[in-house]
Amino acid sequence: MDDDQLIARVADGDDSALRELFRRNAPWLTVRLRAMLPAADVEDVLQETFLAAWRGAGGYRPGGAGGGWLWGIARRQAALHIRRRGPATSELTHAAPAGQGGRDPAEIALARVDLAAAMAVLGPADSPERGAWRLLYLEDRPVAEVARLMGVPAGTVKSRAHRARRLLRAALQDGRPAAGGGR
Amino acid sequence: MNIEINDLTRRFGRTTAVAGVSLRAGPGVFGLLGPNGAGKTTLLRTLATVIQPTSGTIRLLGRDPGQYGPRREIRRRLGYLPQALGYYPGFTVAEFVEYFALLKEMPAAAVPRAVAAAIERVGLGDRARSRLRTLSGGMLRRAGIAQAIVNEPELLLLDEPTAGLDPEQRVEFRTLLRDLGQRATVVVSTHLVEDVGAACTEVALMNGGCLVFHGTTAELTALGEGHGVGDAPLERGYSAVLTAARA
Amino acid sequence: MSGIWPDGVAPADVDLERVWTGVAAQVWRRNPRLPERLLARLLRSPGLARALLTTPSLLVPWLIASTVVFAAGALATIGTGTPWVALLAPAIAGAGIAYAYGPGVDPAYELSMSMAVSDRMVLLARVLAIFVIDTALGLAASAFSATAAGVAFGWLIPMTAVSGLALAVAVVTRSPNVGVAAGTGAWAMTVLSGQAAFGHLAAALNDHWLYLPYLVVAAGSAALVLIRTAQPRRSA
Repeated sequence: MDDDQLIARVADGDDSALRELFRRNAPWLTVRLRAMLPAADVEDVLQETFLAAWRGAGGYRPGGAGGGWLWGIARRQAALHIRRRGPATSELTHAAPAGQGGRDPAEIALARVDLAAAMAVLGPADSPERGAWRLLYLEDRPVAEVARLMGVPAGTVKSRAHRARRLLRAALQDGRPAAGGGR
Repeated sequence: MNIEINDLTRRFGRTTAVAGVSLRAGPGVFGLLGPNGAGKTTLLRTLATVIQPTSGTIRLLGRDPGQYGPRREIRRRLGYLPQALGYYPGFTVAEFVEYFALLKEMPAAAVPRAVAAAIERVGLGDRARSRLRTLSGGMLRRAGIAQAIVNEPELLLLDEPTAGLDPEQRVEFRTLLRDLGQRATVVVSTHLVEDVGAACTEVALMNGGCLVFHGTTAELTALGEGHGVGDAPLERGYSAVLTAARA
Repeated sequence: MSGIWPDGVAPADVDLERVWTGVAAQVWRRNPRLPERLLARLLRSPGLARALLTTPSLLVPWLIASTVVFAAGALATIGTGTPWVALLAPAIAGAGIAYAYGPGVDPAYELSMSMAVSDRMVLLARVLAIFVIDTALGLAASAFSATAAGVAFGWLIPMTAVSGLALAVAVVTRSPNVGVAAGTGAWAMTVLSGQAAFGHLAAALNDHWLYLPYLVVAAGSAALVLIRTAQPRRSA
């Protein structure tokens, strides 16, 4: 049974479907949340996430993005949790990059986790797609310069970037780390 | 010491079900063996404060069960699974376990978590909201075990707990017993000798109302060397002791 | 029997079994409705409140049936002039109270005898609740059928006696059915003897000489029940 069917059962009030949903998804959710919260907080957030899923399963639109839906709930619960606890949660203050001024530290931390997870989809740090993506988009260099730096024709750079965008798009839609890449 | 009984006797009319049993037990898993009619159930019922002894003294969890206040305190810390446990067919597993958690006077706020933990511990997590009338015999037995452990009892009395459980479930059950025996005194009454072998730290053997053996499983096994009848060492010790007692 | 991850897949420092227990606690919990919560406050015991509300005789169908019988009695009283409400009340209460008792009615009776909220406490609470409810129904039916004040209350004492007898027999014989039979049978005989001796059915209610025997039966039954439900049991 896939996640869509499970969530539909949860919406019907089937608690054993919720149990199965938890069994399958709690481990990877834990890993993601653990990247930004201490263990005890992760436990609280996870509990609230699945209770929110239990209550809100009726609002889920089936389409194969069950993981993304769960992660969306987890993000919201994590943000709520952090706001409730106040900005003193130290693990986050140094996770928040400088110069973001005014942005909610919870949101920043979560955005970083999303970003890290998405980048991991592109493969290890020295993979061609990741290299192209980093040079083109993060460092904002022109195509010609990237081609010279990577030692490949411009056409190759463009197709690597295209592949990278496709992988990222798929990963961000689904929300879950794809097999073969990422944590 | 969670159990201290001295010269305990229980008569029903002209029958003596338990005759002069003395026993002390602290934390650990305690096996109570014996043939049918040996008095195991009567002894267990006395330990569960369901019936009074006819004579002899009994102290449970350091208290006297003959008085109202201490008896109530004992019962709050007690878990009991009778041999024949009836069920309310319309209750769900969760409602059943919750009912007895409330009757054991657990603080109401602690009940939902305790019920959930007990149900998961006995492996009924995916049947928590199923009605009892839809469960198999083995599942019902496990629901019974769940109500017995819901209040994390210091004294846990189980009468034939493995009835209806398949071999794999029996193995898991023994793990649960060992786990519980870390902090509590668990008394398991059974006529299945191999059930106790792996999990129990001490064993007592009853016959005709009397205690004919009390010691470790190793000691019981040793008594069976060359004497007893049976497929397993513990069984041989068991039959050796019974034979000697009947002689 | 090892919880949600038998193969031990759960990550290291986050206790996912505990997390699931927290989720399950909220998902599986029963949320008692207001009457039960109020009763639990009043009795200072959530367990006793729950046990009271799961009594066979207090369950809604039984209540409805009793109401119907009382209503029929009220109508019959109006129609025939015979105080049927007063004559039926003791029998209805006796039946309800006999069914409040243990072994025949409660499949988990043995277990209930080891509970901190003792089975005797539950029995007494149930008996009292049924008696009060049946009295209220009876008074309402009497008022509705506008019978004379003497007869409107006159059934209370026989009702106590019949209820006591039904319960005592149920306890001694360990069978609520036998208790009901004994209670209603004894009452029927009393009423019919009254008719034979004095010519009308209400004789069993009106004869003040009967009050003392009724009270003796009630008291004796109560004593018997208390002795037989002693904690821990003296007999099997």
